[in-house]
Amino acid sequence: MIRKLFSLIYKDILLLLRDKAGLSMMFIMPMLLVVLMTKLQDSTFNSINETQIPLALLNLDTDSLGNAIERQLSSSGIFSITRSASTSDDASEKLKASVARGDRMVGIIIPAKATENIRNNIRRYVSTAFNGTVASPVTPDTVHIEIYIDPVVKTSFRSTLMSALREQAARTESEFLSQAIVAEVNRYFPISISGINISPSLVSFSEQYALPTKDAVIPNSTQHNIPAWSLFAVFFISISLSGNIIKEREDGSYLRLLTMPCPEVLYMLSKATVYMLVCLLQYAVIFLMGVFLLPSLGLPAFALQGALPLSLVMAVSSASAAISYGIAIGKLAGTHQQAAIFASISTVIMAALGGIWIPVFVMPPLMKYAAALSPLNWGIEGFYDIFIRGGNLLSILPECAASFIFSALCIIAAPLLHRRKKHRTR
Amino acid sequence: MPAIEIKSLGKTYKGNNRPAIADLSLSIDEGEIFGLLGPNGAGKTTLIHILCCIQTFDFGEVSILGLHLPRRIMDIKPLIGVAPQDIALYPTLTAMENLRVIGGIFGMKRKAVEERATELLDRFGLAANKNRRIDTYSGGMKRRVNLIAALMHRPRIIFLDEPTVGIDVQSKIMILDSLKDINRDGCTIIYTSHYMEEAENLCTRVGIIDEGHILQSGHPCDLVRSSGCASLENLYLQLTGKTLRDDT
Repeated sequence: MIRKLFSLIYKDILLLLRDKAGLSMMFIMPMLLVVLMTKLQDSTFNSINETQIPLALLNLDTDSLGNAIERQLSSSGIFSITRSASTSDDASEKLKASVARGDRMVGIIIPAKATENIRNNIRRYVSTAFNGTVASPVTPDTVHIEIYIDPVVKTSFRSTLMSALREQAARTESEFLSQAIVAEVNRYFPISISGINISPSLVSFSEQYALPTKDAVIPNSTQHNIPAWSLFAVFFISISLSGNIIKEREDGSYLRLLTMPCPEVLYMLSKATVYMLVCLLQYAVIFLMGVFLLPSLGLPAFALQGALPLSLVMAVSSASAAISYGIAIGKLAGTHQQAAIFASISTVIMAALGGIWIPVFVMPPLMKYAAALSPLNWGIEGFYDIFIRGGNLLSILPECAASFIFSALCIIAAPLLHRRKKHRTR
Repeated sequence: MPAIEIKSLGKTYKGNNRPAIADLSLSIDEGEIFGLLGPNGAGKTTLIHILCCIQTFDFGEVSILGLHLPRRIMDIKPLIGVAPQDIALYPTLTAMENLRVIGGIFGMKRKAVEERATELLDRFGLAANKNRRIDTYSGGMKRRVNLIAALMHRPRIIFLDEPTVGIDVQSKIMILDSLKDINRDGCTIIYTSHYMEEAENLCTRVGIIDEGHILQSGHPCDLVRSSGCASLENLYLQLTGKTLRDDT
């Protein structure tokens, strides 16, 4: 039996090695994809320094509020600010036009005397309060900051910007309020008091990724893309594998195998063994590329951080799902073309659903349910557990189990369905 | 003991009203070269496929060298060799690599595979080209390797489905001469062909099959003599008619 299996493996290795175009596709395509997608997504995962949003600012105030807003916008690092020096009437019109044209994504006009008006309003309210009389119906000097936003800007970003501006305005108001109160108190008390410093740093925020260990790696484009595109490549193997099975059927060599003492299970085991080696080689090549090549392209290095045994478990389980899927397609498809089209399109769909391109958490609820059915999702979640969440064998167990169950279903169902199909066509 | 014993064999493909094999009985002795002759759709390939363990049957009994199908299928397979009508080889592998794979699947040891492959390649005039890929071979060369593949494990019965179709005269003569040699070594040969003259010269017995039945069987000369026909081809046409069989 072992001799038979070795002969079949020898045959499958030779068939694979002779298909140079197919072989190079299996390695070169995913390597290019990894570099390309990591480079594209790097700015999204990284701090957003490299994707600055063009902003036009017309600061007609040039006092505390205007300057504070300007300082905050500059220090955020999100914006590439173009300041308009003009105070002419058409300056605001020009700013609006530049946003409307799409030259700038955001335009902010801080009106003249904005700070002075806030100061006057607060002084009036405090004075009224300290005099013990009901404030006469005074019309407050309104401060109206105009913000123009390109319609393509996402709602979430718009909300963030508005919150930041409101926060800055509130901070300025509270500073003025404290100054006005101090001034009023000093008028009534013989011993003067010093200014109240309402520091925004009294309540501080500490933002960090929820990582289980100190050594866990902060998510970056490489940590996402290396396992994601490795998985994609591994599942793309279903095209080559199903094509290989159909080719054997078409060129008659499978017919000869049927006349020989070669059980079907050995035939499939041989294919699975050879393609498992290819899948593991794909993982190794892409992972090594992440460790050594990507840093030289200015991208973060892939951090394996001692997770090799776990990665191997995850690689074997996901590869077994991909291989079984390929075998099932090879058994059920009628022609090479049918298999190639079905395998490639279904892999792309499973990748899209599984969160290879777009993270699952941003998907609508229905798609999230669908994502849970994609073998690529089980794979990527397992790798996330290892490389991003610093998980252990227990944490990848559900994903591994799902992949192996999928694998078993494909292997059991494919020959049964194939036999049924053969009976129908006879 | 007969090499092949078939009793009341029947096979109907799904969706077909007409049986491919209908109550067919046949016995072939060891050491015979049996020619199975018949028009397209007569049931030749179905019968060969059943005997080669590729196709199942609906009813009847089939035993090969005393072993019953389908129960003893894994015991039968090592005893038979098959050269299908279409070249059943891996086109991107060399002749030697193909034979290594086939020998290995038959459980032959590496050294035995090398020796047997070298011997057969030499016998069929392919020794010089043994390391060339099959897809670079001519039609005749491919047919010869197809036949060698069936002989690798020294089977006791070989099934040849039109082994000389579409090849040059030189290759044809070589194949037919080799088949006679192989038969002299004790191998039973079951052979299908549309070439009546070839069958007449090669076979010790022929069976003319049509519509799933064996219409007549016997030594070609005896059949011709007893029918009063001028040749095997005339007898064949008398039995199967001149109607074209394009529908199958």
